[in-house]
Amino acid sequence: MTRKILGAAVAAVLTATPVLADFPAKDMQGIIMWGAGGGTDVIMRAVTPHAEKAMGAKVVMQNMSGGVGAISVKYTYAQKADGYTLLMGAENPQLYKVMGLGDVDYADFIPISMLARGVPVIVAQSDAPFDNFREMVDYIEANPKTVKFGSTGPGGLPSVVNAMLGSQVNLDVTTVPYNGDGPAMTALQGGAIDVFPVVIGAALDHINAGRMKAIAVVDTEANPALPGVQPIVEDYAEYATYLPWGPFFGIWVKKDTPEEAVTTLQAAYADALDAPEFQAFLDQRGFTPMNIAGDEAQEYLDRWQSVSSWLVYESGLAKHSPEKFDIPRP
Amino acid sequence: MTEDQTRKPGEAFFAVLLSVGSIAAVWNAYGISGFESLSSPGAFPMAVAATMAITSIIIAVRTLQKPADRHATFWVDVLPIPAAIITVFIVLYAIALRPLGFLPTSLIFLFVTILLLSRKGIIFSASVSVISLFFIYIVFRLVFSVLMPEGVVPEREILAFFGNLFGGFTK
Amino acid sequence: MMDAFLNFIIPWTDPKLLMLVALGTFSGIYVGAIPGLSVTMAVSILISFTFSWEVYEALCLMVGIYMGGVYGGSRTAVLLNIPGAPSAIATSFDGYPLAQKGEAGEAIGLSTTMSFVGGFIGIAVLAVAAPMVSEFALRFQPRDYMLLAILGILLVGSLSGDSLVKGIFAGSLGLLIGCVGLDPLTAQERFTFGMIDLWGGISFVAAMIGMFGVAEALIQLRYVDKTAVKQKLTRIVPSLKSVRKYLPLSLQTSSIGVIIGALPGTGGDIAALMAYDHAKRVTKDPKVPFGQGAKEGLVAPETANNAAVGGAFIPMITLGIPGDAVTAIIIGALFVHGLNPGPMLMIEQPQMFWFIVGCLTLANVFMLIFGLTGVRIFTKIVEMPRTVMIPLILMLSIVGAFAVNNSITDVYWMLGFGVLGYFMKLYGYQVGPVILGVILSTLIDENWRRAIISEQESLPKLLGGILTSPLSLVLFLAVVFIFVSQTPLWARFKARRKA
Repeated sequence: MTRKILGAAVAAVLTATPVLADFPAKDMQGIIMWGAGGGTDVIMRAVTPHAEKAMGAKVVMQNMSGGVGAISVKYTYAQKADGYTLLMGAENPQLYKVMGLGDVDYADFIPISMLARGVPVIVAQSDAPFDNFREMVDYIEANPKTVKFGSTGPGGLPSVVNAMLGSQVNLDVTTVPYNGDGPAMTALQGGAIDVFPVVIGAALDHINAGRMKAIAVVDTEANPALPGVQPIVEDYAEYATYLPWGPFFGIWVKKDTPEEAVTTLQAAYADALDAPEFQAFLDQRGFTPMNIAGDEAQEYLDRWQSVSSWLVYESGLAKHSPEKFDIPRP
Repeated sequence: MTEDQTRKPGEAFFAVLLSVGSIAAVWNAYGISGFESLSSPGAFPMAVAATMAITSIIIAVRTLQKPADRHATFWVDVLPIPAAIITVFIVLYAIALRPLGFLPTSLIFLFVTILLLSRKGIIFSASVSVISLFFIYIVFRLVFSVLMPEGVVPEREILAFFGNLFGGFTK
Repeated sequence: MMDAFLNFIIPWTDPKLLMLVALGTFSGIYVGAIPGLSVTMAVSILISFTFSWEVYEALCLMVGIYMGGVYGGSRTAVLLNIPGAPSAIATSFDGYPLAQKGEAGEAIGLSTTMSFVGGFIGIAVLAVAAPMVSEFALRFQPRDYMLLAILGILLVGSLSGDSLVKGIFAGSLGLLIGCVGLDPLTAQERFTFGMIDLWGGISFVAAMIGMFGVAEALIQLRYVDKTAVKQKLTRIVPSLKSVRKYLPLSLQTSSIGVIIGALPGTGGDIAALMAYDHAKRVTKDPKVPFGQGAKEGLVAPETANNAAVGGAFIPMITLGIPGDAVTAIIIGALFVHGLNPGPMLMIEQPQMFWFIVGCLTLANVFMLIFGLTGVRIFTKIVEMPRTVMIPLILMLSIVGAFAVNNSITDVYWMLGFGVLGYFMKLYGYQVGPVILGVILSTLIDENWRRAIISEQESLPKLLGGILTSPLSLVLFLAVVFIFVSQTPLWARFKARRKA
């Protein structure tokens, strides 16, 4: 019996390692950057079963949260570049360099698929004394420091949006940090904070139910999911330089992964993204499907990094200058 | 208070060690953000570390004042030899876990410790360790997909082989 | 009303759904009992696993696992002094001493029945008062969470054993351990000594497994040659009389459980610890002192943590706000299944609410059935020779610590805490306060900072805020009262009045 197993093992090793035509020859490992139940987690767990079907192999997914996602990035980077370890993440690593969270970011990985992106919206308590962006700016000017803005820590979406807002208007507010969208929106409904910038999908239901109100969509045009909410450029056209901007979700493998594996993975996830169930899921959560890979994805990533890095740097949030890493100005 | 009125071997050393550690923690906490503001990331750690330092010094002073227990010896009453040996084994187990892999290290660890502790012979120890490892592997690796370090055993390839054998995934 | 009832009984009448709830509850008990495997983990794996299923089927399995898992932690806490899950930490304080006296069967029987009672009360509150409770829970401000956590940390007083100073030291050590890692609010490194492995902090489940599992196993090594305690198995199902006796207490502790469960940000672990403290304070003359096998010390945490399950569903179903980590994942699962769990769920799909209530009730019944059968086999674990059990516990501790985050660093930490815990236990420090501190650390730290930032860094303003809000004032007075009642001054005052 033991000899049989050993034989099987040897056979498997011999066939699996050198001959990549057989990719995937074993289960893959998917490292999810954020905790169970979060936005990234749900998207990855929703799309991967379709990709598994397309590849005929399992992807064992595990959450490795912590350090604004840096731990999962370091971990995946430390694995072999054989295509068996997938990094399932969000936009955060593109800010690691300027935030002083390490030197590894998506430049050291190959994009398998950029699945979707989201559009930020500024929401406020439903009984806040302002209804649109201009009124909010005026109110804050008249009542300095009394308006409480929610934030999710440096490099998080609210910090970048706040930096963007602050680049054109003077916002003298108190920023209260929370450790995620969920807790911050709960705090908004409980009255602990007044205003919070968040991705549309996360706030949509609460807005529709009248538990909070949308002040402005941080985009160049109004969003179909939120009819009647004005885009931020309506009152302040200057914001157009930074837009469109928003969080994104995607899957990466380490640089130098064999071509073969990359193509197989890219094809599988491209298929998975087209699955009607997944499209319906994205639509419902207010995400925009992207489905780009390779160079196109790289271009998107570079632009995103340049816009965001300079924004946070100029608002004084960053530890290092983007110049230090040759990140061009937008 | 029914606390022991005598000092166990090593107790004074332990208490002093905790004090030193706590004072180091205060220093480290101060280094986080100094006395910047009440809401700084270092404020709470500093308060906590200060509490640790104060209490640990009180404990150390009280411990040093107690008379030593003259009948007790460290290797019998505090860290008996078997406990020391097993501790060394666990440490070795943890160190070898990643390079050697979960299956071989666990098997060796279980076999050796059960053999040493129970003295019931090789067959007994071997069968107990194989059976219990088998169940733990099923629960953790197969049901819960916890990827334990593979080390020298190409687990995933073996599993894929069996999967193909039983017509699991087909391409 | 008829509609509600019809949806309530769906899982009871459909044989497939009934089976799934049963299966979920059964496996949940084992998931809960094994340290390192958590309900959170099991449910998140189920998302991809049940992807192609009907949403009802997926929910049945998840709810079953949740209910069973919260209860299952008590098993290993009673039998081995290793809480299978954080919510069972308080159960080990009195459950394990009972097992040491040969009363493991009775302890398991009692904790099962009381988990059932607590679970039932949690579900009842969910069914009757969900919208009200969730509005109440939302009203908790950062300063209220801070006060609640301080209330929790005062528990150190009742967990310190013989030396209060050592208890305070252990509690602060736990609070400090909880601070390690990148500060979630500013990404500033704290006590990381430049090591990236420490950025994510020290997993508190790893600390728990080390301090309870490894430390206990090392201590047990001294009794390796002693034969294990023979377990009496005369009485497993507790008598109606004893259930009635603990009913007033269990009603109180269940209410604690529901409220703490419903608060987003706190869950069964804190609920159980606070319930334990409450029991210790209101029980005037326990037959056996707390910490040595008091039944009240078993009743309180077990009712509270299962009541917290119903509680956690309250904000989830009414507002789409998770009450704890597990409900957060269930929300994600509902999204994947094309539902919109949010404030609109109750309006758009009211049948969902009653279906979940039905599932929970059914899972609670299965928990009672599975919990009370097979106790005999379980208690055999305690009678296993230590020479085999200790190596197994040690290995399970290592696997469990690894499984939490798939991190080998967690294993090293677990071992470090194991050795530290061993010496602490020997030199008269309790490890309970350490774990308490780790659990509460972030809650105090973050909410203190939010509270003081919201008041522009002004202490007088913060105090003013506390004194003018009725909720904060009640919590504040509770903190003051419990603090004063633990000082020696108060004891002297009471003694004088008695004399």
